[in-house]
Amino acid sequence: MALTLTINAGNPPLGPLLVTELVKNSVNVSVEEGKDTMLRISDSVHFNDVNSITRYLVRVAPSLGLYGSNLMEQTEVDHWLEFSARRISGQSSLTAAFEDLDKALSLRTFLVGHSLTLADLCVWAALKGSAGWQAVQAKPGPFPHIRRWFSFLGSQTPFTAVGNKWAKSVVASG
Amino acid sequence: MALRELSSLEKSLGLKKPNKYSTQGDKKVPVLQSNNGPSLTGLVTIATHLVREANRPELLGSTAEQRAVVQQWLEYRVTKLDNCPKEEIKTILQDLNQYLEDKVYMAGDTFTLADTLMYYGIHRIMVDLAVQEKEKHANVSRWFDHVQHYPGVRHHLPLLVVLRNRLYTSGHH
Repeated sequence: MALTLTINAGNPPLGPLLVTELVKNSVNVSVEEGKDTMLRISDSVHFNDVNSITRYLVRVAPSLGLYGSNLMEQTEVDHWLEFSARRISGQSSLTAAFEDLDKALSLRTFLVGHSLTLADLCVWAALKGSAGWQAVQAKPGPFPHIRRWFSFLGSQTPFTAVGNKWAKSVVASG
Repeated sequence: MALRELSSLEKSLGLKKPNKYSTQGDKKVPVLQSNNGPSLTGLVTIATHLVREANRPELLGSTAEQRAVVQQWLEYRVTKLDNCPKEEIKTILQDLNQYLEDKVYMAGDTFTLADTLMYYGIHRIMVDLAVQEKEKHANVSRWFDHVQHYPGVRHHLPLLVVLRNRLYTSGHH
Protein backbone atom coordinates (compact mmCIF):
# COMPACT_ATOMS: atom_id res chain seq x y z
CA MET A 1 0.00 0.00 0.00
CA ALA A 2 1.61 3.23 -1.12
CA LEU A 3 0.36 6.44 0.47
CA THR A 4 0.89 9.90 -0.94
CA LEU A 5 1.03 13.01 1.19
CA THR A 6 0.50 16.18 -0.83
CA ILE A 7 1.58 19.39 0.86
CA ASN A 8 1.59 23.06 0.07
CA ALA A 9 5.29 23.97 0.16
CA GLY A 10 4.43 27.60 0.87
CA ASN A 11 2.65 26.66 4.08
CA PRO A 12 3.86 23.16 4.97
CA PRO A 13 1.85 21.19 7.57
CA LEU A 14 4.57 20.39 10.14
CA GLY A 15 2.54 17.80 12.06
CA PRO A 16 1.95 15.43 9.12
CA LEU A 17 5.55 15.96 7.95
CA LEU A 18 6.92 15.03 11.40
CA VAL A 19 4.75 11.93 11.60
CA THR A 20 5.75 10.93 8.05
CA GLU A 21 9.42 11.23 9.04
CA LEU A 22 8.86 9.00 12.09
CA VAL A 23 6.82 6.27 10.36
CA LYS A 24 8.74 6.20 7.08
CA ASN A 25 10.49 2.91 7.93
CA SER A 26 7.23 1.09 8.69
CA VAL A 27 4.81 2.78 6.27
CA ASN A 28 5.36 3.42 2.60
CA VAL A 29 4.46 7.10 2.26
CA SER A 30 5.83 9.61 -0.23
CA VAL A 31 5.66 13.40 -0.01
CA GLU A 32 4.68 15.52 -3.01
CA GLU A 33 4.30 19.25 -3.38
CA GLY A 34 0.95 20.54 -4.52
CA LYS A 35 -1.74 23.04 -3.69
CA ASP A 36 -3.44 21.69 -0.59
CA THR A 37 -2.60 19.33 2.24
CA MET A 38 -4.00 15.88 1.49
CA LEU A 39 -3.20 12.28 2.34
CA ARG A 40 -4.24 9.91 -0.42
CA ILE A 41 -4.99 6.37 0.79
CA SER A 42 -6.71 5.01 -2.34
CA ASP A 43 -8.68 6.37 -5.28
CA SER A 44 -11.76 6.79 -3.14
CA VAL A 45 -10.30 7.66 0.27
CA HIS A 46 -8.35 10.75 1.18
CA PHE A 47 -7.99 12.93 4.26
CA ASN A 48 -7.64 16.70 4.23
CA ASP A 49 -7.66 17.55 7.89
CA VAL A 50 -4.25 17.64 9.62
CA ASN A 51 -5.47 15.67 12.66
CA SER A 52 -7.10 13.00 10.49
CA ILE A 53 -3.90 12.58 8.50
CA THR A 54 -1.65 12.19 11.54
CA ARG A 55 -4.14 9.87 13.30
CA TYR A 56 -4.27 7.63 10.27
CA LEU A 57 -0.48 7.51 9.88
CA VAL A 58 0.19 6.55 13.50
CA ARG A 59 -2.61 3.95 13.46
CA VAL A 60 -1.15 2.10 10.50
CA ALA A 61 2.21 1.95 12.30
CA PRO A 62 1.09 0.58 15.70
CA SER A 63 4.51 -0.88 16.54
CA LEU A 64 5.91 2.63 17.08
CA GLY A 65 3.52 3.27 19.96
CA LEU A 66 2.83 6.84 18.86
CA TYR A 67 -0.83 6.57 19.83
CA GLY A 68 -0.06 5.63 23.45
CA SER A 69 0.00 2.16 24.95
CA ASN A 70 -3.53 1.84 26.38
CA LEU A 71 -7.02 3.35 26.09
CA MET A 72 -6.30 5.96 28.72
CA GLU A 73 -3.24 7.20 26.85
CA GLN A 74 -5.12 7.14 23.53
CA THR A 75 -7.72 9.42 25.04
CA GLU A 76 -5.00 11.73 26.32
CA VAL A 77 -3.49 11.85 22.84
CA ASP A 78 -6.92 12.76 21.42
CA HIS A 79 -7.19 15.52 24.01
CA TRP A 80 -3.90 17.06 22.90
CA LEU A 81 -4.78 16.77 19.20
CA GLU A 82 -7.89 18.82 19.91
CA PHE A 83 -5.88 21.21 22.10
CA SER A 84 -3.34 21.86 19.34
CA ALA A 85 -6.01 22.47 16.69
CA ARG A 86 -8.36 24.62 18.75
CA ARG A 87 -6.36 26.42 21.37
CA ILE A 88 -2.97 26.93 19.74
CA SER A 89 -3.79 27.09 16.05
CA GLY A 90 -7.22 28.63 16.66
CA GLN A 91 -7.72 32.26 17.54
CA SER A 92 -8.59 31.76 21.21
CA SER A 93 -6.63 33.29 24.07
CA LEU A 94 -3.10 32.01 23.60
CA THR A 95 -1.88 33.03 27.05
CA ALA A 96 -4.47 30.83 28.76
CA ALA A 97 -3.55 27.93 26.47
CA PHE A 98 0.16 28.37 27.25
CA GLU A 99 -0.61 28.47 31.00
CA ASP A 100 -2.49 25.17 30.80
CA LEU A 101 0.21 23.54 28.71
CA ASP A 102 2.96 24.76 31.04
CA LYS A 103 1.18 23.34 34.07
CA ALA A 104 0.61 20.01 32.33
CA LEU A 105 4.30 19.77 31.44
CA SER A 106 5.70 20.64 34.87
CA LEU A 107 5.76 16.99 36.01
CA ARG A 108 6.14 15.39 32.59
CA THR A 109 8.96 14.91 30.13
CA PHE A 110 6.57 13.87 27.36
CA LEU A 111 2.90 14.89 27.27
CA VAL A 112 1.53 11.35 27.42
CA GLY A 113 3.13 8.30 29.06
CA HIS A 114 6.90 8.00 29.22
CA SER A 115 7.81 8.28 25.56
CA LEU A 116 7.12 10.28 22.44
CA THR A 117 3.52 10.20 21.15
CA LEU A 118 1.41 11.98 18.57
CA ALA A 119 0.44 14.41 21.35
CA ASP A 120 4.01 15.77 21.48
CA LEU A 121 4.24 15.92 17.70
CA CYS A 122 1.02 17.84 17.06
CA VAL A 123 1.41 20.29 19.95
CA TRP A 124 5.06 20.91 19.02
CA ALA A 125 4.13 21.48 15.38
CA ALA A 126 1.32 23.86 16.34
CA LEU A 127 3.67 25.86 18.58
CA LYS A 128 6.42 25.90 15.95
CA GLY A 129 3.99 27.46 13.47
CA SER A 130 2.51 29.90 15.97
CA ALA A 131 3.60 33.53 15.73
CA GLY A 132 2.31 34.02 19.28
CA TRP A 133 4.66 31.37 20.64
CA GLN A 134 7.59 32.73 18.63
CA ALA A 135 7.05 36.12 20.21
CA VAL A 136 6.96 34.60 23.72
CA GLN A 137 9.97 32.39 23.06
CA ALA A 138 12.11 35.19 21.67
CA LYS A 139 12.70 36.70 25.13
CA PRO A 140 13.26 35.04 28.50
CA GLY A 141 10.21 34.95 30.71
CA PRO A 142 7.26 32.74 31.61
CA PHE A 143 6.38 29.14 30.68
CA PRO A 144 9.70 27.47 31.65
CA HIS A 145 8.23 23.99 31.24
CA ILE A 146 7.02 24.60 27.67
CA ARG A 147 10.42 26.08 26.82
CA ARG A 148 12.28 23.05 28.16
CA TRP A 149 9.98 20.56 26.42
CA PHE A 150 9.93 22.55 23.17
CA SER A 151 13.71 22.82 22.86
CA PHE A 152 14.25 19.23 24.04
CA LEU A 153 12.03 17.88 21.26
CA GLY A 154 13.51 20.36 18.79
CA SER A 155 16.96 18.85 19.40
CA GLN A 156 15.86 15.28 18.48
CA THR A 157 16.45 13.83 15.04
CA PRO A 158 13.02 13.83 13.32
CA PHE A 159 12.38 17.37 14.55
CA THR A 160 15.70 18.78 13.35
CA ALA A 161 15.25 17.07 9.97
CA VAL A 162 11.76 18.53 9.46
CA GLY A 163 12.75 21.86 11.02
CA ASN A 164 15.72 22.33 8.67
CA LYS A 165 13.73 21.42 5.61
CA TRP A 166 10.35 23.04 6.19
CA ALA A 167 10.15 25.32 9.20
CA LYS A 168 11.78 28.28 7.46
CA SER A 169 8.86 28.70 5.11
CA VAL A 170 6.46 28.45 8.07
CA VAL A 171 8.25 31.28 9.83
CA ALA A 172 8.31 33.36 6.67
CA SER A 173 4.60 32.92 6.00
CA GLY A 174 3.48 32.93 9.65
CA MET B 1 25.02 -0.52 47.99
CA ALA B 2 27.62 0.50 45.43
CA LEU B 3 28.05 -3.12 44.41
CA ARG B 4 24.37 -3.61 43.61
CA GLU B 5 24.48 -0.38 41.68
CA LEU B 6 27.42 -1.56 39.60
CA SER B 7 25.76 -4.87 38.82
CA SER B 8 22.56 -3.01 37.77
CA LEU B 9 24.68 -0.73 35.60
CA GLU B 10 26.28 -3.77 33.95
CA LYS B 11 22.83 -5.10 33.08
CA SER B 12 21.55 -1.80 31.78
CA LEU B 13 24.64 -1.49 29.58
CA GLY B 14 24.00 -4.99 28.22
CA LEU B 15 27.30 -6.40 29.50
CA LYS B 16 26.93 -10.18 29.44
CA LYS B 17 29.65 -11.23 31.85
CA PRO B 18 29.22 -9.92 35.40
CA ASN B 19 32.43 -8.74 37.04
CA LYS B 20 33.55 -9.69 40.53
CA TYR B 21 33.96 -6.80 42.93
CA SER B 22 35.42 -6.46 46.37
CA THR B 23 35.26 -3.56 48.81
CA GLN B 24 37.91 -1.57 50.58
CA GLY B 25 37.94 0.17 53.96
CA ASP B 26 35.11 1.27 56.28
CA LYS B 27 33.26 3.15 53.55
CA LYS B 28 33.13 0.01 51.42
CA VAL B 29 34.67 1.59 48.34
CA PRO B 30 34.17 -0.83 45.41
CA VAL B 31 37.24 -2.39 43.77
CA LEU B 32 37.35 -4.12 40.40
CA GLN B 33 40.22 -6.44 39.57
CA SER B 34 40.44 -6.10 35.81
CA ASN B 35 41.90 -8.79 33.57
CA ASN B 36 44.41 -6.66 31.76
CA GLY B 37 45.88 -4.20 34.19
CA PRO B 38 45.88 -2.91 37.74
CA SER B 39 42.73 -2.96 39.85
CA LEU B 40 40.25 -0.05 39.63
CA THR B 41 38.92 1.66 42.74
CA GLY B 42 35.87 3.86 43.27
CA LEU B 43 32.29 3.95 41.99
CA VAL B 44 32.75 6.61 39.31
CA THR B 45 36.01 5.14 38.00
CA ILE B 46 34.53 1.66 37.66
CA ALA B 47 31.25 2.95 36.19
CA THR B 48 33.15 4.94 33.54
CA HIS B 49 35.23 1.87 32.78
CA LEU B 50 32.08 -0.25 32.32
CA VAL B 51 30.62 2.29 29.91
CA ARG B 52 33.79 2.13 27.80
CA GLU B 53 33.80 -1.66 27.99
CA ALA B 54 30.22 -1.71 26.68
CA ASN B 55 31.33 0.57 23.85
CA ARG B 56 28.81 3.29 24.72
CA PRO B 57 31.07 6.38 24.83
CA GLU B 58 28.10 8.70 24.14
CA LEU B 59 26.94 7.98 27.72
CA LEU B 60 29.95 9.98 28.92
CA GLY B 61 28.94 12.97 26.79
CA SER B 62 29.35 13.66 23.09
CA THR B 63 30.90 17.13 23.12
CA ALA B 64 33.79 18.42 25.23
CA GLU B 65 31.34 20.57 27.19
CA GLN B 66 28.91 17.73 27.80
CA ARG B 67 31.72 15.41 28.91
CA ALA B 68 32.75 18.00 31.49
CA VAL B 69 29.17 18.34 32.76
CA VAL B 70 28.83 14.55 33.07
CA GLN B 71 32.07 14.38 35.10
CA GLN B 72 30.86 17.23 37.28
CA TRP B 73 27.67 15.37 38.24
CA LEU B 74 29.49 12.09 38.78
CA GLU B 75 31.74 13.90 41.22
CA TYR B 76 28.73 15.62 42.83
CA ARG B 77 27.17 12.21 43.32
CA VAL B 78 30.06 10.80 45.35
CA THR B 79 31.16 13.94 47.18
CA LYS B 80 27.86 15.70 47.94
CA LEU B 81 24.97 13.29 47.54
CA ASP B 82 26.46 10.19 49.17
CA ASN B 83 26.53 10.30 52.97
CA CYS B 84 25.07 13.79 53.01
CA PRO B 85 23.77 14.77 56.47
CA LYS B 86 19.99 15.10 56.90
CA GLU B 87 20.05 18.89 57.22
CA GLU B 88 21.69 19.26 53.82
CA ILE B 89 19.13 17.20 51.90
CA LYS B 90 16.86 20.22 51.55
CA THR B 91 19.62 22.33 50.02
CA ILE B 92 20.52 19.57 47.59
CA LEU B 93 16.91 19.20 46.46
CA GLN B 94 16.52 22.94 46.02
CA ASP B 95 19.72 23.23 43.98
CA LEU B 96 18.85 20.28 41.78
CA ASN B 97 15.31 21.55 41.31
CA GLN B 98 16.58 24.87 40.04
CA TYR B 99 19.20 23.23 37.83
CA LEU B 100 16.72 20.85 36.22
CA GLU B 101 14.07 23.44 35.41
CA ASP B 102 15.26 23.87 31.82
CA LYS B 103 16.72 20.39 31.34
CA VAL B 104 15.33 16.95 30.61
CA TYR B 105 18.57 15.15 31.54
CA MET B 106 21.45 16.04 33.87
CA ALA B 107 23.65 16.97 30.90
CA GLY B 108 20.98 18.64 28.74
CA ASP B 109 19.12 16.95 25.91
CA THR B 110 20.63 13.47 25.96
CA PHE B 111 20.71 10.64 28.47
CA THR B 112 24.13 10.03 30.07
CA LEU B 113 25.81 8.06 32.85
CA ALA B 114 25.20 11.07 35.10
CA ASP B 115 21.44 10.36 34.97
CA THR B 116 21.89 6.72 35.93
CA LEU B 117 24.22 7.36 38.87
CA MET B 118 22.36 10.42 40.16
CA TYR B 119 19.14 8.39 40.00
CA TYR B 120 20.67 5.50 41.97
CA GLY B 121 22.09 7.97 44.48
CA ILE B 122 18.99 10.09 45.06
CA HIS B 123 16.55 7.17 45.29
CA ARG B 124 16.98 6.85 49.08
CA ILE B 125 16.06 10.53 49.46
CA MET B 126 13.04 10.34 47.15
CA VAL B 127 11.68 7.30 49.03
CA ASP B 128 11.22 9.44 52.12
CA LEU B 129 9.62 12.47 50.47
CA ALA B 130 5.93 13.21 51.04
CA VAL B 131 3.69 13.84 48.03
CA GLN B 132 3.70 17.55 48.79
CA GLU B 133 7.49 17.69 48.93
CA LYS B 134 7.76 15.85 45.63
CA GLU B 135 5.51 18.44 44.07
CA LYS B 136 7.47 21.27 45.68
CA HIS B 137 10.54 19.92 43.86
CA ALA B 138 8.62 19.31 40.66
CA ASN B 139 11.66 19.45 38.37
CA VAL B 140 13.53 16.82 40.39
CA SER B 141 10.41 14.63 40.52
CA ARG B 142 9.83 14.94 36.80
CA TRP B 143 13.45 14.03 36.00
CA PHE B 144 13.38 11.18 38.53
CA ASP B 145 10.16 9.71 37.14
CA HIS B 146 11.50 9.95 33.60
CA VAL B 147 14.75 8.19 34.49
CA GLN B 148 13.09 5.42 36.52
CA HIS B 149 10.98 4.64 33.43
CA TYR B 150 13.90 4.98 31.03
CA PRO B 151 14.40 1.59 29.33
CA GLY B 152 16.74 -0.68 31.30
CA VAL B 153 17.82 1.70 34.06
CA ARG B 154 15.80 0.63 37.13
CA HIS B 155 17.05 -2.79 38.18
CA HIS B 156 17.53 -3.25 41.90
CA LEU B 157 15.43 -0.27 42.96
CA PRO B 158 11.65 -0.22 43.61
CA LEU B 159 9.50 1.98 41.37
CA LEU B 160 8.42 5.10 43.25
CA VAL B 161 5.06 6.74 42.76
CA VAL B 162 5.46 10.25 41.39
CA LEU B 163 2.28 12.18 40.60
CA ARG B 164 2.18 13.53 37.08
CA ASN B 165 -0.45 16.19 37.64
CA ARG B 166 -0.21 18.96 40.21
CA LEU B 167 -2.32 18.81 43.37
CA TYR B 168 -1.21 21.64 45.59
CA THR B 169 -0.30 24.77 43.71
CA SER B 170 -2.04 26.28 40.76
CA GLY B 171 0.72 28.76 40.06
CA HIS B 172 4.16 27.52 39.12
CA HIS B 173 7.05 26.57 41.46
